[in-house]
Amino acid sequence: MDPHEPSGFESYDMSTTPTWREFAVTSILPMAAIAIVIGCGASGASDKDATATQTLTLGAYTTPREAYGRDILPAFAAQWRAKHGKAIAFEESYLGSGAQARAIAGGFEADLVALSLEPDVELLAGKGLITGDWKQRAVGGMITNSVVVIGVRSGNPKKIVGWSDLARPGIKVLTPSPKTSGGAMWNAAAIFGAAFLGHVPNLPAGDSAVAEQFLREVVGNVAIMDKGGRESMLTFEQGVGDAIITYENEVLAAREAGQAIDYIIPDATLLIESPAAVVDAYADRHGTRALADAFLDYLTSPEAQRAFAKHGFRPVVPAIAAEYADKFPSVKQPFTIRDLGGWPNVVQQLFAPGAVFERASTPAVR
Amino acid sequence: MSRRPAVHPFSQRGALALRAVVLLYVAMLVLLPLAAVLREGVSEGIMGIWRVVSAPAARDAIWLSLWTAAVVTIINACFGTATAWVLQRYPLPGKRLLSTLVDVPFAIPTLVTGVMLVLLFGPTRPVGRWFELHGVTVLFAPPAIILALAFITVPFVVRAVEPVLAELDPTEEEAAATLGATPLRTFWRVIIPALTPAIASGSLQGFARALAEFGSIVVVSGNIPHRTLTGAVYVFSEVESGRPHAAAAASLVLLAAAVLATLGARAISRRTLVSDA
Repeated sequence: MDPHEPSGFESYDMSTTPTWREFAVTSILPMAAIAIVIGCGASGASDKDATATQTLTLGAYTTPREAYGRDILPAFAAQWRAKHGKAIAFEESYLGSGAQARAIAGGFEADLVALSLEPDVELLAGKGLITGDWKQRAVGGMITNSVVVIGVRSGNPKKIVGWSDLARPGIKVLTPSPKTSGGAMWNAAAIFGAAFLGHVPNLPAGDSAVAEQFLREVVGNVAIMDKGGRESMLTFEQGVGDAIITYENEVLAAREAGQAIDYIIPDATLLIESPAAVVDAYADRHGTRALADAFLDYLTSPEAQRAFAKHGFRPVVPAIAAEYADKFPSVKQPFTIRDLGGWPNVVQQLFAPGAVFERASTPAVR
Repeated sequence: MSRRPAVHPFSQRGALALRAVVLLYVAMLVLLPLAAVLREGVSEGIMGIWRVVSAPAARDAIWLSLWTAAVVTIINACFGTATAWVLQRYPLPGKRLLSTLVDVPFAIPTLVTGVMLVLLFGPTRPVGRWFELHGVTVLFAPPAIILALAFITVPFVVRAVEPVLAELDPTEEEAAATLGATPLRTFWRVIIPALTPAIASGSLQGFARALAEFGSIVVVSGNIPHRTLTGAVYVFSEVESGRPHAAAAASLVLLAAAVLATLGARAISRRTLVSDA
């Protein structure tokens, strides 16, 4: 065998010891350069000058993308131009609610946030980015409602009519992971809450151990946990699973797009309340406060509320909600996150490490 | 014979500067992010890492990653070598096409790979229905993970083995044949030993890549903790639920496994070199 070519590996042997100078240039200099880079850190962000066209940066969660992009933003821009004679431009970012909140906390300078759930806005308040009492704005801080529903195959072949059917052996359930999808917290809280508040037949109310066991039975039937609500719906549309725990607006959007999906609203289900808020620190820095304030107010205007309704969200303004009573059947026994002790309590009790959800998704026998 | 140029294109000083630039570049690009993960990972001490990865959800996720990656590594070692062999040694219609196809997995975003598999094996599709009728669950189960990983890591072994096969000295095989060795014996005693370093290097690179795979897995595996949640998706879910320490700690364990695999590849190739000499 040719000794020079024993294999595909060439041997780059470093037989010579590097001199001190070589060592200095090749090792110490780069390290010093890195140290300098780290030491300098991020320099201050430059302020944006107010220009002729004002730009409003919207950091939103993914679900209402169509409502904003197709209807609400263009309508608001037109209204603003008519009133003030100035053009506005939007920069839109859509991410999962939690990811969006973390991006903004990490320096993505959105003037306004529209997120899936209160804790994600509270995260920004906790970082000092939202300084005012944001719940005084909109309708208690909220701009849209929805409810947690169960999507089923066309004609409901598995005869699913309520939460307890999801615990039946052999039913294949889809829901996103509450770890990756803030929205999925609504789903788990709805199941746990329905049981805890005594709305699941044959289960006693007020017993969190019983509610946890019920959640465990449902989670045991979950075949796929996609990373977000939309992905979960797309998987369901592929024909996977018997039932999907999702939000009313997701199902309505899927049906609108021609998918043959039926859904049932359980007799007792959780009201999904989604907030929006001005990110005070960034809006002030960009000089866009007036614009951001006006946009937030616009979100609860009849026009915007109707646009949300068109895209499957329940209006938060009672008068507008009344207009859509046909589209959004009333829930027999609705409950809210406050009935479960409020978000901080629910996050702590259900979603903290080692808490109810994690225990419920651990198989009993290990 | 060395293929290196006899005369260096750079002066001594120029060569020194080049090395410094390269080192700086690699350090900024690779070392810095690694250091960041390391710092976050060890921020609660070694016991902090242990606490994270010994928790049942993390442990099961990392274990799932390890064993699926190992299965894929074995599949790749066999079929990758066979593919390289066919490409090198046999006339084959459409060989150029086959050779191009081997590289395709590198060019496809892995998220797309996941979507393709779901579209292929979904219960409403012919292929998916066939498997379902025969009682085989592919999607949202370990087979889907292995399938996705195998797809993504196809090129590693093929591209590592091919050039070595091409440069094998045919006189050795001829000598073996002249000395009375059967073709099979020649293959095992002459060819395989020469290929071992390349096979090991290619498959262990594939192993490391498989451990890290996220984009396709998050789509096809189902992500159920303890059953189909892999290490990389676990890391993602910890990031998403705002627990950077748990994410970094689990990452370090996956990273360590990948580094061990790389070192293993080095050791195997070195030992083979020594025993050849």
